[in-house]
Amino acid sequence: MSEYGYIPEAPEQSFGNNKGIFTPKDIYDLTRADKYTNYGQLELIETQIHSSDVAQVDFTNIKADIYDVHFMTLNNIVSSSDAGLDCRLSDDNGTTFESGSYDYDIQFVQTSGTSNGETRSTSGNAFTRLGALGANANEQGNGYMYFYNLGDSTKYSFATHQSSSWNFNAHLVMYFGSLVYHQTVSMNALRVFPTAGSLTDFEISLYGIKSYE
Amino acid sequence: MGLVQVATNTVTSAVASVTLTGIDSDDVYMVTIVGASPSSGVDEIRTRFTASSTPQTTANYDYANKFFRASAAFINDSNTNLTYTRGTGNIDNAFEGGNGIFYLYNFNNASEYSFMTIESVTFGFSEGRGYAGGTVYTVAEAHNGVQFLPSTGNIDSGTFTLYRVV
Repeated sequence: MSEYGYIPEAPEQSFGNNKGIFTPKDIYDLTRADKYTNYGQLELIETQIHSSDVAQVDFTNIKADIYDVHFMTLNNIVSSSDAGLDCRLSDDNGTTFESGSYDYDIQFVQTSGTSNGETRSTSGNAFTRLGALGANANEQGNGYMYFYNLGDSTKYSFATHQSSSWNFNAHLVMYFGSLVYHQTVSMNALRVFPTAGSLTDFEISLYGIKSYE
Repeated sequence: MGLVQVATNTVTSAVASVTLTGIDSDDVYMVTIVGASPSSGVDEIRTRFTASSTPQTTANYDYANKFFRASAAFINDSNTNLTYTRGTGNIDNAFEGGNGIFYLYNFNNASEYSFMTIESVTFGFSEGRGYAGGTVYTVAEAHNGVQFLPSTGNIDSGTFTLYRVV
């Protein structure tokens, strides 16, 4: 009701431009319609923490219909064997994971040894070199990934990553890479796994980066 | 880390460029690009900084990037005194494959240069490609946003979003 006693026309509501006094139901409805100003566009989807040793960690509720950019943090990743850390995508909610059609080019630098440089492929079997893992004291991988376009069936799926690991040769190794799954498929699940052995410790979080129209 | 959306632009019909503004604090800002596609076959997405919402076109952009290629050796790609900086590698418009994360530093500070880090991935010339690096605009002035544009033609698609990092 306006100060003159009439009911004004309802204003258009949108992110960053809400007007009026809102009931909890209004807020609920506007939020569901992506028209309510909720600041904080880095939204946690799920965190998985080690409770028992596993061969892989699957995220099967990635909300790819909501987010076109995902952010994953990989913290204290430890394996039972000397291994690398890889990631695969699924288009059937995690029933199977794709094992081909991955392009990547990854730079790596180590504090010991002469093996610095890059690894690349146009026919890889995973998003690879997310970290270098081991079972001895201090050996662990840590890093992050950004994923793009996972849920869009008309576009390829893309990712970038960076990691810092104390590897199975007891020195630091850094990976930084660009990755493409070159098939136009809508993805709905992610798998993180060691290339050998099982994961004996980890904390992995998946976030969505929200974008309002 | 938290993100607060400042501006966004989803391209659904061809435009010559996309400009995002709204930087008005000394915070670090972040831009996401998803599904960017040029109109002209295969092209890169370039970037300029805006002062009072006007893209700056003087030859003061320097960049130093690692250019990743899935089918050939990487390249150290650097240049100075250009009228733009590189944001992505080549994008094949058949796959709408321009994507990246860009962090913006010192934009609101009129007494310092403005800096940007680049982390982008594309698909072009039948291979995955990436850029990782940094850019500086060597003029001490305040900037309130960024502009994205191809080297020729238009941008056909893509979502460009500016966030404040809090």
